[in-house]
Amino acid sequence: MDKVRGYVSTVISYIVLTAYALLSLYPFLWMVSSALKSNREVLSSQSLIPQELHFDVIVNTWNQLNFFKYFTNSVIISVLAVGGIVLVYSMAGFGFAKTRFVGRNLLFIAFLGVMFVPGVTVLVPLVQLLRALGMIGRDATQVATYTGLIMPIINGAGPLSIFLFRNYFSTLPGELHDAARVDGSSNWGIYFRIFLPLATPVIATVGILNFIGTWNAYIWPSIVLNNPDWFTLPLKLKDLDLQIVVQWNVRMAGSLITVIPVILVFLFLQRYYIRGLTAGAIRG
Amino acid sequence: MAQAEMRTISSPAVRKRRKTLLQVLKDNSGFLFVLPAVIIFLVFGLYTVIYSIVLSFFRWNGFGKFSILPFACDPPACQFAGLDNFAQFLYKEPTLSQFFWQALEHNAIMAVFVTLGTIVVALPLAIALNRAARGQAAYRIIIMLPMVTAGIAIYYVWTFIYQPDGLLNSVLGTLGLNLLQAKQGWLGQADRALFSLIIVMIWGAVPMATILYLAGLQTIDRELYEAAKMDGASAWRLLWNITWPLLFPVTVVIVITSINSVLQGYEMVYLMTYGGPAAHTEVVGLQIFKYGFGDQRQLGMASAMSWVLFALVFVVALLNMRIFRSQTEA
Repeated sequence: MDKVRGYVSTVISYIVLTAYALLSLYPFLWMVSSALKSNREVLSSQSLIPQELHFDVIVNTWNQLNFFKYFTNSVIISVLAVGGIVLVYSMAGFGFAKTRFVGRNLLFIAFLGVMFVPGVTVLVPLVQLLRALGMIGRDATQVATYTGLIMPIINGAGPLSIFLFRNYFSTLPGELHDAARVDGSSNWGIYFRIFLPLATPVIATVGILNFIGTWNAYIWPSIVLNNPDWFTLPLKLKDLDLQIVVQWNVRMAGSLITVIPVILVFLFLQRYYIRGLTAGAIRG
Repeated sequence: MAQAEMRTISSPAVRKRRKTLLQVLKDNSGFLFVLPAVIIFLVFGLYTVIYSIVLSFFRWNGFGKFSILPFACDPPACQFAGLDNFAQFLYKEPTLSQFFWQALEHNAIMAVFVTLGTIVVALPLAIALNRAARGQAAYRIIIMLPMVTAGIAIYYVWTFIYQPDGLLNSVLGTLGLNLLQAKQGWLGQADRALFSLIIVMIWGAVPMATILYLAGLQTIDRELYEAAKMDGASAWRLLWNITWPLLFPVTVVIVITSINSVLQGYEMVYLMTYGGPAAHTEVVGLQIFKYGFGDQRQLGMASAMSWVLFALVFVVALLNMRIFRSQTEA
């Protein structure tokens, strides 16, 4: 009897999972299928299987609509932001966990305290600040503009990243530190040679969380980037709306190009992504 | 050896002072690791927060000059307003305050339905996932996808689904449910738009909640269930008397995250409806954005409203923490 009950509930579990998996996956399937259809077919057919495969849509989007350029811009911005975040906050996490200085705990609390300030609160001040620093506007170079775009992203990642790095470094045994000190290593040597290489799991966690966030970001980049040549993929996608007739297959081809890198990164690093989510949420 | 020489040269008093100063610097050298983070925080974090607080007491349309370091506010573009910005959108100015309270009401509706919807979907999903020994990893990846691809690309798909000639209407048509169709599109109709956005929000929030519930379920001792089954407890009782109470801390985390993201988030609304039709999906975050970057800029108003939003976010977090404490201690 019990065995039957267990069997039935397992079957129900799989039915529930499969049903939701379809719901979860459907928009992606539709995206892929529409990117391979003609615009007319996108509008007229509910079927996920195209009558005729139009690979030219995605090729043209990549080449003629210059999506490769926006792809490159997105990569540059995301990589620089993630690199900055990992470097600055792994150092800070090490400082908070393994060194001593006056006001250490107070400073740590101050960092976590700003978490509650909504992002929209500082949008106007940030733009004024970037203007004063010459990082926004017609005269700003691409390097200056990208710096202005990235620095607030790095700052926004601060609280969670510091928290994750500090917690991780705190769990590493003190003997590591002492042994290295006896060898005559300075704090810097200890950080670069011992602690940073050991922190690969947290680097992956912090990296993937922020890569996905930066890659998908729309509003902040749309405020800072006013030269269409410097656009990221999401901005270029939105730009397609300006066409008089909306080409749904082109939109979906562009969306596909935008989404694939994130999905790939997620597939490779999902273990770390899940770890970051649970750690981040439990902190809240 | 050089140090030894130094010692013999300097007098005891000088030596002591030098040593302490050097020692103080050395003892605090760990601060250097934190320094880059502190500099970025001071410039892009603290400065902008203070700027925003000060600006909330001024009326400024973005032209002319306003700055806090050094302080400058040149009339007529910029004027001191005291608490007037707050008063205006809270109660004083009928149009503005109606606009604000309506947006807040939408936030509240979203917070309630998104949170409930997320929990109602995610908990059974996590339980099923926990039972599915085979294929768990694959199902988990598929279920998580909506979370990583949040952004304009996926909103486009939903926009299409909701179009007048879009997927949802045509599926309803095929099923013979023409009555339920939204003729002007699901996002174009005042009575459907908010509800349609809530569905997308739930779709986006379920993955995270499922992962958290799954992590929680995996910590529950199986023997608890075995013992209860011996006593003849039904599956329903197991869920209600063991699973739900033990997962309560997770539920609190999900509630906080959900309310918080509804209050703070406006990107989806921005991209899918821009608050329309006729302000029926307007939310506070989007309204602040419009005061800051829209056609008629009132930057002081934007700041003032954003601090009211901050207060809400803060109060909700505190309330939830309190519930969390009282429940876990009991």
